[in-house]
Amino acid sequence: MSLAHEGSGPPRRGSVRAPQNLAGGLLLLALAALALWLTRDLDQGTLNAMGPAMLPRWLAVGVGLSGLALLVFSFVKEGELLERWSLRGPFFIILAILAFTVTIRGYSFGSFAIPGLGLLVSGPLAIVLGGYATPEARLRDLVILSLSLTPFCMVLFGDLLNLPIPVFPQALTGLFPVGWSQKAVLRACAAILAVAAVLVFVATRGRASTDAADRSGRI
Amino acid sequence: MGDFLSNLSLGFGVALSLQNLGLAFLGCLVGTLIGVLPGVGPIATIAMLLPITFGLDPVGALIMLAGIYYGAQYGGSTTAILVNIPGEATSVVTALDGHQMARQGRAGVALGIAAIGSFFAGTVATLVIAALGAPLTGLALIFGPTEYFSLMVMGLVFAVVLARGSILKAVAMILTGVLLSTVGLDLETGEERMTFGLSFLSDGIDFAVLAMGIFGIAEIMRNLDHTEHRDVVRQAIGRLLPNRDDFKQSYKPVLRGTLIGAILGILPGNGAVLGPFASYTLEKKLAKDPRRFGRGAIEGVAGPESANNAGAQTSFIPLLTLGIPPNAVMALMVGAMTIHGIIPGPQVMTKNPTLFWGMIASMWVGNLMLLVINLPLVGMWVRLLKVPYRLLFPAILMFCCIGIYSINSLPTDVMFIALFGLVGYMLIKFGFEPAPMLLGFVLGKLMEENLRRSLILSRGSLETFVERPISAGLLAVAAILLVIALLPSIRKGRDEVFTE
Repeated sequence: MSLAHEGSGPPRRGSVRAPQNLAGGLLLLALAALALWLTRDLDQGTLNAMGPAMLPRWLAVGVGLSGLALLVFSFVKEGELLERWSLRGPFFIILAILAFTVTIRGYSFGSFAIPGLGLLVSGPLAIVLGGYATPEARLRDLVILSLSLTPFCMVLFGDLLNLPIPVFPQALTGLFPVGWSQKAVLRACAAILAVAAVLVFVATRGRASTDAADRSGRI
Repeated sequence: MGDFLSNLSLGFGVALSLQNLGLAFLGCLVGTLIGVLPGVGPIATIAMLLPITFGLDPVGALIMLAGIYYGAQYGGSTTAILVNIPGEATSVVTALDGHQMARQGRAGVALGIAAIGSFFAGTVATLVIAALGAPLTGLALIFGPTEYFSLMVMGLVFAVVLARGSILKAVAMILTGVLLSTVGLDLETGEERMTFGLSFLSDGIDFAVLAMGIFGIAEIMRNLDHTEHRDVVRQAIGRLLPNRDDFKQSYKPVLRGTLIGAILGILPGNGAVLGPFASYTLEKKLAKDPRRFGRGAIEGVAGPESANNAGAQTSFIPLLTLGIPPNAVMALMVGAMTIHGIIPGPQVMTKNPTLFWGMIASMWVGNLMLLVINLPLVGMWVRLLKVPYRLLFPAILMFCCIGIYSINSLPTDVMFIALFGLVGYMLIKFGFEPAPMLLGFVLGKLMEENLRRSLILSRGSLETFVERPISAGLLAVAAILLVIALLPSIRKGRDEVFTE
């Protein structure tokens, strides 16, 4: 019976008419359930003296009801299909952000600890890893970009603006003459990176010209 | 009148000091630089650049932030005209005719008229703010918690009505936003709510982190889904200054756009978004030959751009007078003000007049700066826009990370932009518009506070919201708006406005 019914309708698979709304509804229901579960032990209080759980709980109910409505409508009303998803983009972007997070000031997972490496390491890490989020990524370009943008940010944020962001690993100060201040080390590191960027650019120039052929077609 | 002038001259005294002029200039410049990048709107720009103002005194910091805001706004219009990628909702309209003009080799004129229109609108809006500031502050004094709560409800209803797409989804987003704002310590009992026992969540979710995740990271993920197709204008930019005919055609749209934008911008619930759409629709209706629109009509750039800028500026009014941020950008301003120890609201004007009037005067200065900076620098923006996205987005990503880390020096904040970025990406994929959620989040804490207070005052009776006349009036407006938006005929019209 249901088959005959489907045959007369528009050419869509199954009984779901708006897959996008179905997914949205499920997302909202999951969110509402999570909020209700998290506030289960809190006191709701009365209208006269509201407890901590009153508002979150009713909001969660509201979110859940909207989710339910979307879910029901997705079987009744025609709607959008789900768009194409790519996992590559989100995966590498998140990976890059996490890499930045764990290296900027150091991080410890139980017995395993990463020392604070500062912008010197986490900046290039974020750029190169993040750069692979697109299939068009080219390692050479990303390396040059990271080697030139990182010293710029180090000088801008660490030196000129004095923001409290770790710029280089503390172990590095041992490599420089004893009398050098933090700022001097920072500038020296930035200069080394910038020089490295120029070196990589010049050394791999031959490869760039072959790249340029397929690049000229599109911007 | 005498007050009005003396206040303005006090303001200009502050804004025209050498240091503050420099800060306004710098703010406009970096704001435009970041805002011009495709896919980076004003919200992400401000969140990214917030930390660079930390070392300044409060007045200087706010002046610079306001400059960044205008710069980012104008940068968005530049991208819309030159590459047909609107950075955010308000420049969608500019892209329609602006990009067509650019293809006809009139990019310079389009940018020029946008800058001149914006400057005029900015000048008028500055005067409006200065004139309305004092009376509206008086209004705030008769507002109790009940009225505040109802006003914010009305603001959220506005946001629902103005959101694109399904109303049900917009409501869901608002509720989700308010729900997110309740994470953290309960204000009165000190109990932890929905923190998963994590200590860094007990202060609640940081607004800048949420905004950066939703508008910065999610936007990168979304852009990566589309294979890149950017048609940067290949034609010459052409002369920048509009000629006599151009002025003749566009001065009326500029006037009308300014008026519409300034009025809509004052409304709570991000009315400013509607300005450009309303102005474009009006110009098309009034035009002798409406077919020219969409094919490079200068009116279609002049009107909406003026409306955009006027609205962007008058949306400071609810923040400065009532302490209620009407949109996400203003919420970031609240964040910046609190960092410098200023609590936005009616008391700012009386307790801190130099800051209040200095900021208002610097808005005008900021608009002038934009005119001065942008026209000569157009060539540079064009070159920047030719950098392929595969190199731009890693740089944007790193700026996002550095910016967010510097706000609180917390690595967990950076981790959260990844989480919210993923959530925002999913929401976009499921057809939800994230802007109403952000507004719900912004107003959530204030709403809960005022709701609780008014219920304590009324001894737990909900009737207080309809018994008090002002509150009842505000709620009635909200209800009428919602009903109108749900009427089938209006809904159709609303969809048309947004899809056009």
